[in-house]
Amino acid sequence: MTAPMTPQATTPPRHRPRVGVVKFASCDGCQLSILDLEHDLLSVLDAFEIVEFPEASSRRSDGPYDVLLVEGAVSTPEQADQIVELRRQATLLVTIGACATAGGIQALRNWADHDAYRAAVYAHPEAVESLPTATPVADHVKVDAELRGCPIGIGQLRELLTALLLGRRPEIRDEAVCAECKRRGAVCVAVATGTPCLGPVTAGGCGALCPRWGRGCYGCFGPREGANAASLTRELLAAGMSGQEVGRLFAGFTGWAPAFRAAVEELTGARPGGTGTTGGAQ
Amino acid sequence: MTSATQPRADGAARSARPDQPDARFLARADLGALIDALRAEGRRVIGPVRRDGAIVLGEVAAADDLPAGWGAEAAPGRYRLIRRGDERVFEHNAGPTSWKAWTFPASAPLTRVAAAEGETTYEPAGTDIRPLAFLGVRACEVAAILVQDRVLLGGPYVDEDYQARRGSAFIVAVQCTSAASTCFCASMGTGPEVGPGADLVMTELDDGFVVERASAAGRRLLDRLPTRPATEEAIADAMTAVGGARATMAGQPGVQIVGLKDRLLARLDDPRWALVAERCLACANCTSVCPTCFCTSVLQRSELVGTASGSTRTWDSCFNPGFARVAGGNFRSRTRDRYRQWLTHKFATWVDQFGTFGCVGCGRCIAWCPVGIDVREELLAIAPPIAPSVLRPSPAPIAPTPQEFGTARVTATRHETRDVVTLVLGDLEPALLMTKPGQFVMLTLPAFPRLPISVSRTRSDGIELTIRSVGPATDALTRLKPGELVGIRGPLGTGWPIDAAVGRDVVVVTGGIGLAPLRPLVDAVLADRSRFGAFRIYYGARTPGDMLYRDELASWMASADVDLHLSVDRADESWLGPVGVVTHLFDKASWDGSKSSAFVCGPERMMQATATALFDRGFHGDRVYVTLERHMECGIGLCGHCQMGRYFVCKDGPVFTLAQLGDIFGREGI
Repeated sequence: MTAPMTPQATTPPRHRPRVGVVKFASCDGCQLSILDLEHDLLSVLDAFEIVEFPEASSRRSDGPYDVLLVEGAVSTPEQADQIVELRRQATLLVTIGACATAGGIQALRNWADHDAYRAAVYAHPEAVESLPTATPVADHVKVDAELRGCPIGIGQLRELLTALLLGRRPEIRDEAVCAECKRRGAVCVAVATGTPCLGPVTAGGCGALCPRWGRGCYGCFGPREGANAASLTRELLAAGMSGQEVGRLFAGFTGWAPAFRAAVEELTGARPGGTGTTGGAQ
Repeated sequence: MTSATQPRADGAARSARPDQPDARFLARADLGALIDALRAEGRRVIGPVRRDGAIVLGEVAAADDLPAGWGAEAAPGRYRLIRRGDERVFEHNAGPTSWKAWTFPASAPLTRVAAAEGETTYEPAGTDIRPLAFLGVRACEVAAILVQDRVLLGGPYVDEDYQARRGSAFIVAVQCTSAASTCFCASMGTGPEVGPGADLVMTELDDGFVVERASAAGRRLLDRLPTRPATEEAIADAMTAVGGARATMAGQPGVQIVGLKDRLLARLDDPRWALVAERCLACANCTSVCPTCFCTSVLQRSELVGTASGSTRTWDSCFNPGFARVAGGNFRSRTRDRYRQWLTHKFATWVDQFGTFGCVGCGRCIAWCPVGIDVREELLAIAPPIAPSVLRPSPAPIAPTPQEFGTARVTATRHETRDVVTLVLGDLEPALLMTKPGQFVMLTLPAFPRLPISVSRTRSDGIELTIRSVGPATDALTRLKPGELVGIRGPLGTGWPIDAAVGRDVVVVTGGIGLAPLRPLVDAVLADRSRFGAFRIYYGARTPGDMLYRDELASWMASADVDLHLSVDRADESWLGPVGVVTHLFDKASWDGSKSSAFVCGPERMMQATATALFDRGFHGDRVYVTLERHMECGIGLCGHCQMGRYFVCKDGPVFTLAQLGDIFGREGI
């Protein structure tokens, strides 16, 4: 059946949204995922005016931004100020990746003695100005949407950009990694090989990348809604892992996210600032 | 008994037992001939293969691909391959994959939408498949395929993609000669002997296979294979081996199915649901590995520039948080609600829907649960065996109905309130002009999710839909302009049974946007006014500005044919009428409910309060009709989202009597 189209589907937006990509404490891997869009890249450049994207171009531009993609955790006093200013300049602020959404690997220091760490790592620790914590952007400013993962999944990124252009809600499923694992016909590494796997409590979006290669899920997309970390913990302890080992599993990539953080602190005794043992969180 | 030389004309399977006189023997060395013969028919042969620490189902090109000498142990939350001391290829039980991965794939394209040169087309993505052959289907799995046949082909609507794939499949069944600790087919009555549904039935012995002819197609294939008559000894060995699997299961937990449905439905408030929810990860592994689970969602994907989009049907699960979510909230927000939905569906409400259990006893959900929750244990704790009961017969299949979207053109729009718009749609398929009061349609715009929308009026030249903007998709619908197109499928669902109210007083109770699905009923009663007794409408809204159809309300108010009562939660200076919830309007009325039929639509809490008030006035539960809102994606009882107890709200409703719903109406987490 054919007939004239509806404008929602085809009319280009009134203007190309101004998009900025900025980074804080992070490895740039999520920015590189944007470049991984490959054959969609030209469409992205057509549809959006990308005014700031350090990993792609040395051209810099201040806001305002219609959409600001923020990578990285807030890790220094300067960043804590910058994010407040960037929020003012952005209509929509989207955090991308485990660092921006949960603090990332560097949030491991949140359970450690900051001064001791600095002294251990840097020859001149006094030259390093950093906060004692690496925290998600949402701890500092309002966030309109988040893309999880280390790095983000380009399928979800493409869906977000498309939804932004069409003015609809991004269709990002709230389901466990297990659902993606099963749809792809992968064999469950937890059940078939006894490999510790955070898949059942972790949000999907990666396409079950690690389990499909025989590795347990590291939880890089962070806890899913209603993640039952307590039940999975009991199961892993019953299988013979120590509390420290299970705690380290939860601590890795998104350990500072509340559901995982509670498990880490209960299992390892780790406390913010390193007043308790930090062993479990390293 | 069918003789060896007269194939059954209907091709149907018959009871397959190794003591049939026409049993043949296929030597182990000749198994490849079976695979070759199936492949020679152009089929993809799917069978057990060893991969990633498990025996999974995959493409089999030759007998060497089968897992000779490998077996597996399964226990709650645990599965391990074991090396056997023989060359057997089928000496294992259900693995992590089920055949539904081929008959009902995890992801199947549904609709393609193209917008180019000023045209929009909605087209079925189509199913282009190679014929299939399944090698090594266990008794429980044959039973599971027949269960999915009932669900997806049993009518009134069919899943066309499933129909095409399933129809192409040649089934070589294999009887189990051992049972895992997770197996309970014997207690579910589905195995280990293979029942109807297979094309060939084999039982593996050390030196080869006792093969039986089961269907006409199976016979034709078998005639081309190098077999010899099975010896009595081989037949006896096969029977003994299958009996061994049965004996193993007799010594381990099963499910007591007698009376199970009623026992389970009597335990909706059992404290065990909360206990199992403490263990349950709601990860959906159980529903993914289940060979009968059929719930799906539709994923919309579009190109960045928006000229083409498409939808894909993908496996979903009643354990996922968004599964029962609607714009206003989530009907099953807690894991205990979801576990209860799943278990009561499998072992109780499925029986009402499809005349069979939704479980065949394969044990996959036990083995592949990461925390080892065992349904047998949960059922025993929640619904211990007591009384017998009788299963209902299966519903009769009805002719298939197309599932694809067509288009309709917006011919006019009308702003009802600040966030509600009525669309008038024309250029419709004739069926849509026959929409009955209370029915709904599925609407979609390219790249937007599909939504169920009640029809608020059926006209000679089109239909009206009254839509409130509650999110981006409804917002896009309410911004449509005359001349634009919308994707549409319907009419769907049951309507208001207006004929059953003839000769009776009619009471309509509704709130806010709830008047929309009731307006066609008002139209119908007013069009045939003399056939009904007194006609009373009670309509409440948040504020005067939230009332729909204000011109019509004014004309009803002025009419002697209808007794209209209005109320608002919050008045403004324009409002002179009553303030408060709508049920207060008839608290003090003098009429008698026992001679009345009531039609109710509004938020579920408002409908509960209304039901209580109506019962107080002498109404009977079978004369109070409500229409329910649930998450709907397919609209025809195939995707599973809208289930409420034994009902698919889309197909069995959305209009129900309170007597039909019983104590599930208003219950949290159903």
